[in-house]
Amino acid sequence: MEHIKNDILDYLKDSSFMDANIGLKDNDSLTQNGIMDSIGLLELMDYICEQYSIEIPEDMLTPENFDSLQGITDLIVKLAK
Amino acid sequence: MRIDAYITEYARKTPQQIALEEGKNSISYSFLNEDIDAIASSVGDFGHCRFAILAESGIQYIKILMAVYRSANIAIPLPIEFPKFSLEQILDNAHVNNIIATEAQYSRYGEDFFGRFGTVLLVSNDSSVKTLRKNRVNEVNNPDLRLVLYTSGTTGTPKGVMLSDRNLVANAESIIEVLGISSGDKGALVISPHHAFGNSIIDSHLMAGGAVRIGNMNFMESTFSLVESGVSIFYGVPSTYRILLRYPERFKRAFENVRTAASAGGGMDALTVKEIKELSPGIEILPMYGQTEATARLAYLPSEDVGEFVDTIGRPIPGVMLDVFDDDNRQVGPNIRGELVARGENILLGYLDDEIATEKKLINGWMHTGDLAQKLPNGYFSLLGRKDDLIKIGDHRVNPREIEKHIENNTVVSRVFVVPVSHELMGTAISLMVIPKEGTEIDTLFSFCRKNLPGYLCPREILFIDHLPLSENGKISNRSIIGEYQNVKNSV
Repeated sequence: MEHIKNDILDYLKDSSFMDANIGLKDNDSLTQNGIMDSIGLLELMDYICEQYSIEIPEDMLTPENFDSLQGITDLIVKLAK
Repeated sequence: MRIDAYITEYARKTPQQIALEEGKNSISYSFLNEDIDAIASSVGDFGHCRFAILAESGIQYIKILMAVYRSANIAIPLPIEFPKFSLEQILDNAHVNNIIATEAQYSRYGEDFFGRFGTVLLVSNDSSVKTLRKNRVNEVNNPDLRLVLYTSGTTGTPKGVMLSDRNLVANAESIIEVLGISSGDKGALVISPHHAFGNSIIDSHLMAGGAVRIGNMNFMESTFSLVESGVSIFYGVPSTYRILLRYPERFKRAFENVRTAASAGGGMDALTVKEIKELSPGIEILPMYGQTEATARLAYLPSEDVGEFVDTIGRPIPGVMLDVFDDDNRQVGPNIRGELVARGENILLGYLDDEIATEKKLINGWMHTGDLAQKLPNGYFSLLGRKDDLIKIGDHRVNPREIEKHIENNTVVSRVFVVPVSHELMGTAISLMVIPKEGTEIDTLFSFCRKNLPGYLCPREILFIDHLPLSENGKISNRSIIGEYQNVKNSV
């Protein structure tokens, strides 16, 4: 679980969606804090699908699953089973 | 009449009718009208002053915008999806002393950002207004000015398009007629309300006494659910449709009861039209064409001609005249290439504090669109590129020369060239060709672009080149840059 969260965080930092020194809490909104816009989210989704070899059904593309580190981590854990 | 006066009228005639919806919230005309009054009263001692608005898309933004109108002030909405420095450039250009912000945006941007304003008002979720400070600076020019919309303000020189009450009402009336919008309609607003297209959705549906459902394009399931909530008219730029069409089965279900799929902001392509038709055979597809300088719309393609004429912009909307002029501002006949020009009550007053740009845009009452076009024998118009270097990226109009300069001035690099490249969802994205110098690093360039440009301008790739992409006559243009890019790609 924790390594998935860190991996997503590293991706966001490595791809410069956010500064390396900015603290992002697990439940902070990625969109409302200006880290992600709709085009950025498409890139993130592609990354996750490739990295974890999962397909994300469209009915899971909601803010609960995709707008925070915690939501995304839970989603990956659920789908990678 | 001002746009907000229509809300007052509907608050009297159909007080219970829902005006705006957002997530689980909705508000009737009656309550919307009261909240606008409440916010307007806190700026009642201002009159004809410029007010920047910093608010996320939502009911709150629309209340604030209408309150600025109602208090007879001038609204300057800030496109919050832009990076901070772009907003600061807009503010420098707009010479604006007053700002109204939501509490959410105030805490996001911080006191430093607000330091430049003499007046700072914060609107909370219950529409109460907190005055942090007040210092009135009146507008002395532009008596008819009501709204300033910024165009191509991502990098470089932002241009503020000045619009009047008459502009807003005239364009909304035309749109209502073309789309047949009534009080029974619910329009979907999933694009930014701070630009011309989104703004026109708000104006036309509220003027018709109908409803607007506000959402975004961040999370597809939320967007599809929004469409399913009884939306009768869906609005999107072409890339909005391409993104939704990635999920054909879901699209089919969500759009089953949608009457009209309207588009603007870029040319609709035949493939997208075909896919929508296949999934929603009964839907009316209505591509429209316009510019911020025309408040929003100039032309539309009647639904029955979408199959045959999708590569044209169709005919002018009611109240607008379109024509094609040569370089000497003389009308040219059908099938001859020239510049598309327009006149009508929706045409801008001018550019804010920029008389030179205004004189170039408005000549003898005709607005020069900068789009090259020709008239077709059936009265439709087709576009043939731009007169200047502006290009559409992800359905946004951008100036590649300004993006290049911006990257050159802020990173370690010798020269930068923006190449428009096709993109599955955005239609067109950009790649960069770069002439490096000592210390140029691709990672740093990517990182700079990501942090300082909106998502649609983040380059797909960065290629190093060692000479200028000159044309045969020694000039640099979009064409010569694209030519060089093809050479580089072919030689790899």
